[in-house]
Amino acid sequence: MGEDRDEVRELVVRAKVACRARSGDGEAFGALYRRYQSGIYTFIRSQVREAELAADLTQDTFVRAWESLPRLRKEGAFRGWLYRIAANLVRDEVKSGRARLEVTESTLAGEDGSRLPEPAGKEGVPEEMLASEEMKEEVRRALDSLPAEQRAAVVMHHMEGMGMSEIAEAMGVRPGTVMSRLARAREALRKELSRYVEGSDDEV
Amino acid sequence: MTKCDFIRDRLAEYAVGGLRGRVRARVEAHTRTCSECRAELRALERTGELLDATAPQEAPAETWEGIQERIALHPRGERRRETRGRPKLGWRPKLGWRPRWAWVMATAAVVLVLMVAVLLGPLGLGEPRLVVALEADEEMQATMEGHLSAVWAAPLSDMAALGLQMASVEENG
Ligand SMILES: [Zn+2]
Repeated sequence: MGEDRDEVRELVVRAKVACRARSGDGEAFGALYRRYQSGIYTFIRSQVREAELAADLTQDTFVRAWESLPRLRKEGAFRGWLYRIAANLVRDEVKSGRARLEVTESTLAGEDGSRLPEPAGKEGVPEEMLASEEMKEEVRRALDSLPAEQRAAVVMHHMEGMGMSEIAEAMGVRPGTVMSRLARAREALRKELSRYVEGSDDEV
Repeated sequence: MTKCDFIRDRLAEYAVGGLRGRVRARVEAHTRTCSECRAELRALERTGELLDATAPQEAPAETWEGIQERIALHPRGERRRETRGRPKLGWRPKLGWRPRWAWVMATAAVVLVLMVAVLLGPLGLGEPRLVVALEADEEMQATMEGHLSAVWAAPLSDMAALGLQMASVEENG
């Protein structure tokens, strides 16, 4: 994963200009939206569960980002800043009691049964393994079983490709905290998904 | 076995890239020789690969439309400021560059001035700014003055006519 920092920086600079000029030129901002919408939505959904609320908060995140854009100093840090906005909105929502964290809907798939896009094949995981719908369902279920902070770290790290310090900044915690959340999540998921990840394919 | 326990407790941290220095070196040395711990590490790594390969879910399609609507509500200057001095004769406004009402007002001003000119004659015209400055902002005023000076120099010149034409084009467009 990862991201093309130069490209993002350029888009952010352009979006900033558009915002300052109040010209309504949403082209660069639209490109930023397309780039981050799925990660932001998945992150929010992993925290508030309800699809409709998650979509609303996704919208709020990008609107707030647009409005705050002129105050963003480091254009290259846009992603972490954007996730921080999302995390703050989620926090407010949970505090207000509107977000229900204990719903059992799947974090990653819509209850409407919408399918996840086909994952990009990664080396190390056999294609036929990734293609298995059953396994994808297992991954979603396993993620659902994690505590919310661990789930947040997993989504940001594995699905958005964010590094630990970037996640730490977004979540307002120390990088060491992010690391231990990721490690605990990894242990728990490894147990939940044992039938997929235990193998003797590369034992010497 | 106690050595394996020590390593096992740190394998997940190692797998997520969180170990440094001597502990990291110990884990690496141990998993090279202990096949059980190596298998456990491999399972943790494969879990990470599985997660990496899990795609995030797309936001609903209407989300962006909603954002665009709300961003448009964000006070969006009615005009882009272009610093211009007093328009010279021969100055041409760009078509479609000004809101419709601007052309209507500018043209109304021209018509008004022409009426005043017809009724009172050129000497009675006085300071043209006073006629039209009531609600006009700086830029509008500049536009009107453009028209006024055009009219002053040559009543019914193409500049004045252009104002009328602009207004009708904007109205229809
Ligand atoms: Zn061992």
